[in-house]
Amino acid sequence: MSEEIGGEIVPDSTRELEIDNEVDLMIEDLDLWYGSKQALYGVSLPIAKNSVTALIGPSGCGKSTLLRTINRMNDLIPICHYEGKITKGDIEITAKDADLVEIRKNIGMVFQRPNPFPKSIYDNVGYGVRLHHQPTREELDAIVEKSLRRAAIWKEVADRLHDLGTSLSGGQQQRLCIARTIAIEPDVILMDEPCSALDPIATAAIEELILELKKDFTVVIVTHSMSQAARVSDYTGFMYLGRMVEFNKTDKIFSDPDQELTKRYITGRFG
Amino acid sequence: MKEDRVAPLKDIDRLKKRSRSRRNIVEKGGSLTLATSGLVGLFFLLVLVWQIALPTFIEGETGEIYAASEFIPVSEYIMEWDHPNVDENGAILTEVITLKLSWEENGKEQNQDIEIRILPERGIVNDVYINASTGVSTEVLEVSKKAKFHIYSTLEVPINVEQTTGPVPKADATGQPLVSSFVVSADVHLLADDEGIVFEPLELLAWGSLLATTAVMTFPKPFALKQVQRIKGKEKPAKYLFLALAAATLVAGAFSFSSILGALCFLIASTSLLRMHEGLHRLLGQGRTIAETDRLVHSITNRDGVLMWSRMVLFVATLFIPFAIEIPFLTERYQDIFQPYASGIRSAFFGTVWVMSIAMIVSIPVSIGAAIYLEEYAAPTRTTKLIQALVTNLAGVPSIVFGMFGLAIFVKQGGIGMGLGPSILAAGLTMGVMAMPIIVLASQEALRSVPQSLRESAYGVGCTRWQVVKDHVLPSAMPGIMTGSILAMSRIMGEAAPLVVVGAAALVLFDPEPLAGLTGGNVNFTVIPIQIYFWTSEPDHAWHSMAAAASIALIVLLVAMNSIAIILRQHFRRRLNQ
Ligand SMILES: Nc1ncnc2c1ncn2[C@@H]1O[C@H](COP(=O)(O)OP(=O)(O)O)[C@@H](O)[C@H]1O
Ligand SMILES: [Mg+2]
Repeated sequence: MSEEIGGEIVPDSTRELEIDNEVDLMIEDLDLWYGSKQALYGVSLPIAKNSVTALIGPSGCGKSTLLRTINRMNDLIPICHYEGKITKGDIEITAKDADLVEIRKNIGMVFQRPNPFPKSIYDNVGYGVRLHHQPTREELDAIVEKSLRRAAIWKEVADRLHDLGTSLSGGQQQRLCIARTIAIEPDVILMDEPCSALDPIATAAIEELILELKKDFTVVIVTHSMSQAARVSDYTGFMYLGRMVEFNKTDKIFSDPDQELTKRYITGRFG
Repeated sequence: MKEDRVAPLKDIDRLKKRSRSRRNIVEKGGSLTLATSGLVGLFFLLVLVWQIALPTFIEGETGEIYAASEFIPVSEYIMEWDHPNVDENGAILTEVITLKLSWEENGKEQNQDIEIRILPERGIVNDVYINASTGVSTEVLEVSKKAKFHIYSTLEVPINVEQTTGPVPKADATGQPLVSSFVVSADVHLLADDEGIVFEPLELLAWGSLLATTAVMTFPKPFALKQVQRIKGKEKPAKYLFLALAAATLVAGAFSFSSILGALCFLIASTSLLRMHEGLHRLLGQGRTIAETDRLVHSITNRDGVLMWSRMVLFVATLFIPFAIEIPFLTERYQDIFQPYASGIRSAFFGTVWVMSIAMIVSIPVSIGAAIYLEEYAAPTRTTKLIQALVTNLAGVPSIVFGMFGLAIFVKQGGIGMGLGPSILAAGLTMGVMAMPIIVLASQEALRSVPQSLRESAYGVGCTRWQVVKDHVLPSAMPGIMTGSILAMSRIMGEAAPLVVVGAAALVLFDPEPLAGLTGGNVNFTVIPIQIYFWTSEPDHAWHSMAAAASIALIVLLVAMNSIAIILRQHFRRRLNQ
């Protein structure tokens, strides 16, 4: 049940996927190709409700790809195609006729590089809400304020709500993007290395935020930082060369991993 | 001692410095060369404009008596003055009229001046004869006003005729040319002239208020901002006041072009004012002071869509509102086949305006749609790639080919032809088709420059594809699309070749009817480049002057259109750099 790639024994994607919590999302046997190049090999993963699941692994192992498949963002890449199944309750996300708008509304995403709309801060947060609902001015004001507060950026922008979102600093922009995502109250928030472009203070603010968000949302976070994964997550999946090498409770992965490969990665003896 | 210790570093320093100074030299040299070549280019451009403009300054009669030959033994030159320059007693009323005749004889330059006296009484006719043995027959010539006189020459060399002093042939009694603005001259009246008020004071007010708000927005200075601050609490009344003023301008000006512009000025001025006030208010709410204008610039630039529109409207309005600029050559006079200098390009000007309008209406929406389809919707299949290649190549197809296309599709009846005849409609459609590939390519470029991350973030909050395009991609790409469209329009404005094929007429003595091709009526039309083309092929020098004047008019129109494109592009760049 393993393969030798470049002198390295790479086990197949793991099937040991026990979790204690209620399952929110279930990924089963996902194979994905960019053109003729396979990027994911039989990845399976349960995502626990109201908890933080971290995906770790070296660059190019397919973490972003897996994340982007969950809200079907990969559909924007014409050469990308996949097989396998992702379900959320009794909704099949990967179905051909799935309602993409509904999926993306319920599964929000925060990108690696902050990408606010070139609109005002207020409109950045309010846009998605207006897209799906018809709030009155007062209701929208309340939603915008609440989302900005939850994203821990309200104090900094309260008096400049009508400035361009793009005029904020990098860390503020990322928190604005988080506010934009939680304003439409999705069930799941996908975060792709949300702190990679940020300084330590902003990173700390966002980590705190993630722990806060866990109470209401299911969070999946891709991260390069072992310590970050250990700090914020409940479950951790280690990926390597497109395979889900090991998945387990974060404590278990960081204290006593089953796989030799995982051990080498988290202790930094890799490569 | 200290120096010694840092010695190893110093070497590196020197290395760096050397390369930097070389870079500086290269840069300076490069920019100097660029500047010089730019200046040279500018100089040639000036010479070109001067050369075009020169014939339009008519100072007196100039021309040439052709050389006589075996076949034409005598060549003649005909002149005529409208008004006398002497009274009954022979006293000179205006400047003396002197004609200088010069020719070359046996390698020597020959000169002869003739003084011409135009008498008030009628019926006196005299002619001038030049032949090899006796030379010029007279030095003083007396003829009646409005009497044609001939200069006959039997010389086998050409003779230059040049009027050195005195009123020109088509002059009034005072010696001023009969046609007051005989080529391109703009009569600029200020607020009022002898005949009363030239334009509506309301329009001037509109222009002034737009000028003021644009200036304050562009260069926010504390004292001006204090004034803006005063409308606090009166925003609603201020808005209604401006609305009322705009409506009043429209009604008072009977919905003329300048009154519409005036109303637009009022509307944009009020928007700018209120936006500025809003920005100011927010700034003060943040505990800033008016003196911190730097912050305000930032706060206002977020609204610089308003600034862009205010600049554009100001630019157009400046041409029409503050001065009643009259360019009879452009907007009033038709071609007069007997009097070149009294001719104008009214029919060609309106022909151009109509052809451009129709081309714009048919090409811009379709092309933007095509660009959106190709960039945002079409999957990169072989068919799309083929279409893309076709569009790219179409942009390079010679314009005459589009003319043939227009002839076959729009002009001719039968087969695939729509049978619109050689009409404005056919011409506009042809030009529109010609502009399409250019606009498609420019729009695609603009759409492509919208970052993919913007699309992703829009999809991420659950937008449909159309919502992504409508709310995010198009607004970001719009300035680029508009710049491209305007540049395409100004390119086709100068095209003559396709319209020669479509069948623009040489002589049109009425305003063109834009829909004549469909509804029936007179389909004849012409446009400025065509008019220039036909006038330059006339034998009479005077028409060449008129062609030059029309060229200048065309250049000015093109510059005006490109300026709008430049304003748009600058606005776009600023937004990107923010
Ligand atoms: N748009 C794409 N087109 C082609 N290949 C891609 C694309 N995006 C990612 N890949 C490939 O898929 C693999 C996984 O990439 P990614 O999911 O971005 O890795 P990670 O996020 O773990 O660093 C890489 O080998 C990468 O080269
Ligand atoms: Mg990645």
